[in-house]
Amino acid sequence: MNGTMNRKLALVLGPVTGVLMFAGVVLIATFLTNREYAQPYRAPAAVVDPTPRVEGVAAEAADAEAKAKATPYAEAEYRQFPVIGSRVAVWAVSQLHLLFAAFVLAVPLFAIIIEIIGYKTGDLRYDRLAHEFTKLLSVSFSLTATFGAFLTFLLIALYPKFTNYLMSVFSPTFLPYVLLFFAEAAFLYTYYYGWGKFHPLVHIGLGIGLNLVGTGIMLIANSWLTFMTSPAGVSDTGALISLYDAVYNFTWMPINIHRIIANVAFGGSVAAAYAAFKFLQAETDEERAHYDWMGYIGNFVAILAFLPLPFAGYWLAKEIYAFSQTLGLTMMGGAFSWLFIIQAVLIGNLFLAANYYLWLGMGRVEGRQPLQKFIKYLLIGIALCFAIWATPRSILATVSEIRAMGGSTHPMLGFLGVMSAKNTAVNILILTTFMSFLLYRRTGKIATVAWAKTGHAAQLTIFAAAAFIVIFLGIYGYFVEATVRIGLSVPQVSSVLIAMVSITIIDVFLFRRAKMTGDVRWGKIPPISQYVLIFIAVTFTWLMGLMGYVRSGLRQHWHVYGVIRDTSPDAFTPTLGFATQVVSVTVLIFFVLIGFVFWITSLHDRPDFVPSAKTVTHPGADVVLGGALGHQPGIARASHFEGRTQ
Amino acid sequence: MAVPLIGRIGVLILASTAFYAYVGQLVPQNEVQPPQETVLRTDLTTAEMVTTGRQIMDAKGLCFTCHTIGRSGALRFPDLAGIAGRVSERAPGVTDIEYFAQSLYEPDSFIVPGFNPGMPAINRPPIGLTDQEILCVIAYLQSLGGTPTVTMQTSHKYYTPAGAAPVAPGEAPANGAAPGQKAAPVAPAAAAPAKSAQLKPQAAHLGGAFTS
Repeated sequence: MNGTMNRKLALVLGPVTGVLMFAGVVLIATFLTNREYAQPYRAPAAVVDPTPRVEGVAAEAADAEAKAKATPYAEAEYRQFPVIGSRVAVWAVSQLHLLFAAFVLAVPLFAIIIEIIGYKTGDLRYDRLAHEFTKLLSVSFSLTATFGAFLTFLLIALYPKFTNYLMSVFSPTFLPYVLLFFAEAAFLYTYYYGWGKFHPLVHIGLGIGLNLVGTGIMLIANSWLTFMTSPAGVSDTGALISLYDAVYNFTWMPINIHRIIANVAFGGSVAAAYAAFKFLQAETDEERAHYDWMGYIGNFVAILAFLPLPFAGYWLAKEIYAFSQTLGLTMMGGAFSWLFIIQAVLIGNLFLAANYYLWLGMGRVEGRQPLQKFIKYLLIGIALCFAIWATPRSILATVSEIRAMGGSTHPMLGFLGVMSAKNTAVNILILTTFMSFLLYRRTGKIATVAWAKTGHAAQLTIFAAAAFIVIFLGIYGYFVEATVRIGLSVPQVSSVLIAMVSITIIDVFLFRRAKMTGDVRWGKIPPISQYVLIFIAVTFTWLMGLMGYVRSGLRQHWHVYGVIRDTSPDAFTPTLGFATQVVSVTVLIFFVLIGFVFWITSLHDRPDFVPSAKTVTHPGADVVLGGALGHQPGIARASHFEGRTQ
Repeated sequence: MAVPLIGRIGVLILASTAFYAYVGQLVPQNEVQPPQETVLRTDLTTAEMVTTGRQIMDAKGLCFTCHTIGRSGALRFPDLAGIAGRVSERAPGVTDIEYFAQSLYEPDSFIVPGFNPGMPAINRPPIGLTDQEILCVIAYLQSLGGTPTVTMQTSHKYYTPAGAAPVAPGEAPANGAAPGQKAAPVAPAAAAPAKSAQLKPQAAHLGGAFTS
């Protein structure tokens, strides 16, 4: 009886609350309306205004209308966003849009690869893993679209003239963009909801379609923003000459490549953070094992994509220089040069954290791990490279210190502040991280092939040769002209890439049919490793925010560099301190929202609502419970609602 | 009392972002203002033009983003110290004014051996110096190893002031400013007094814009 009463109460409570809220709104509105038209109190002795209030208000309204009609139409150039200003509003919203878009583009890229591995090997764990990654997409896609629409409205409202210009140049690209967007929605939802419903090859086809369409969307959007930095295909006054050139401008392709790689690194790190979150929440060893593995794969994807990222960055920088030396030097030697010291701190942290996670992962393998003794040497190498990379060319010092140094450049440390040193440091960092990965990979294994000794020696020789080439060219760079020095980064990068590829190929054959000295126990890793994964995701996100700022801020007081000048109050370039504050706040908002995505996604794994033990069979329960339980025969009906059962 | 998981993760995210924001406060904090439009008096003396030219090169011209004065070693762009004295060896038979004008208006027409092209046309966006501002820059460049002779009425291949006769190809610039001509010798740039007050009232904002 009590149960029935409670259920009736719950049924009534919602509508009653709604009615009460509506009544409250009406009451407040009536109160305010009455106040507006109430005759004000006037002291008896005071002079009373002879004009009745109603006539006065009407006259004012008529005046305002007449004035509005008399004003000729003029297009607004800018409008001001309250409190934070237009620039920060557009900055934050576009950053959030890009972060979610990056995630939505990246996850299908590695989900499809994992799915294909699962299909080829027949290992269902991969299929489950790919499905789990894809679960994160649906809500993220909605948030991406929401922020995209918000950004468009902000641009139209706050920067109408400039937005109108961009639209006039790129209007032919809008229809394909919208069509691709529809196609992406269709592919994404079919891919996600169709998991296990189609033949695997059909499903893989859907995934490939999703990736192609998503990449197409990114390429179109990239043309708009790269045009702003390195405009082409327009006259000096901005008139369109060639849409093809406007799209295929100097920085378009480098940004496309850089973004695809960075998106994968970022997406992998966020997916790993999700796995870490689930690992820390897990209550069973089985769950822990699964999410440990998922976190490992996510982080592996992130780091694998991260390693070639500096090279893509070099190409982008080269194209910026090719477009305009002034722009390039503003970036690397002018207003933004110190930003790259902040970037060095972030990337140094990423390398340290990624290596630390790999070293912790060695503990997953049973037994003593002799390879762990090399960790201290790797750590020393990473710390040294990190320090070199973060050393600025000009030292912040007092006047007397600068006098003592004979200039703002330190007599010794100054040598570490130039590109020769930094290129060397980053290449050695990459090699060291690769070495950490190799050590992790061969933990618990002993090569049994006949040529094992030769294979190890060949790997060591290649590694040493690559390190020697990188360091030699780094030092040589100090003694040659700038034009020669810039070119040295190519053989440095090439030697590192060749070393990584060749050593990996040898490693794969070397450890075929290797003797296992202990099993890999997924889930047996210290919890701190999971916080490291979350830290990596935060650092990646922050790095994306910072680099997004430099890419956009580089234009300084130009909407379209050299073509459309920014004449708004926000035309100045803010301090780096201010920029980092905006980036931090944006990153925090992103993580609040991605937390929401994780929560929504985790609802999928929760058991369906089950009524409490106290049950009654009631024919009317079908209506109340809806689809979850209502039409399943033999299931006891709820007598009352007591929330979730978990 | 154990901190709930969501709290621990929240603290980690907050601390990480706060740390990076803190790192951002440690580097130099420069707010870069867009260059202001300037109006130069037409009766500036050559000495005043030298000072103004230096200010323009420091700020709106962005010249010292790439060029240096008095630095040697592995340079990305030519050092400007003593540049006026090197004109005759780089471009025999060309006046220093014409050489500098060509370097500024058509920088790719002559590349100093050992360097790559890369300088933008200085009269066009994004730098967009006016013809008068370029005359001032030429005055300053003349002062580096030479004697400034240019005036606001000087015409050259790329610019003819209102009322002045255009320069025919190969002809020396108008106003008698050819090298060797003693028409208007002025003191070197270093000796020139600060002249910001000599700018027109409309250009009073030059002071802020040209502070570097």
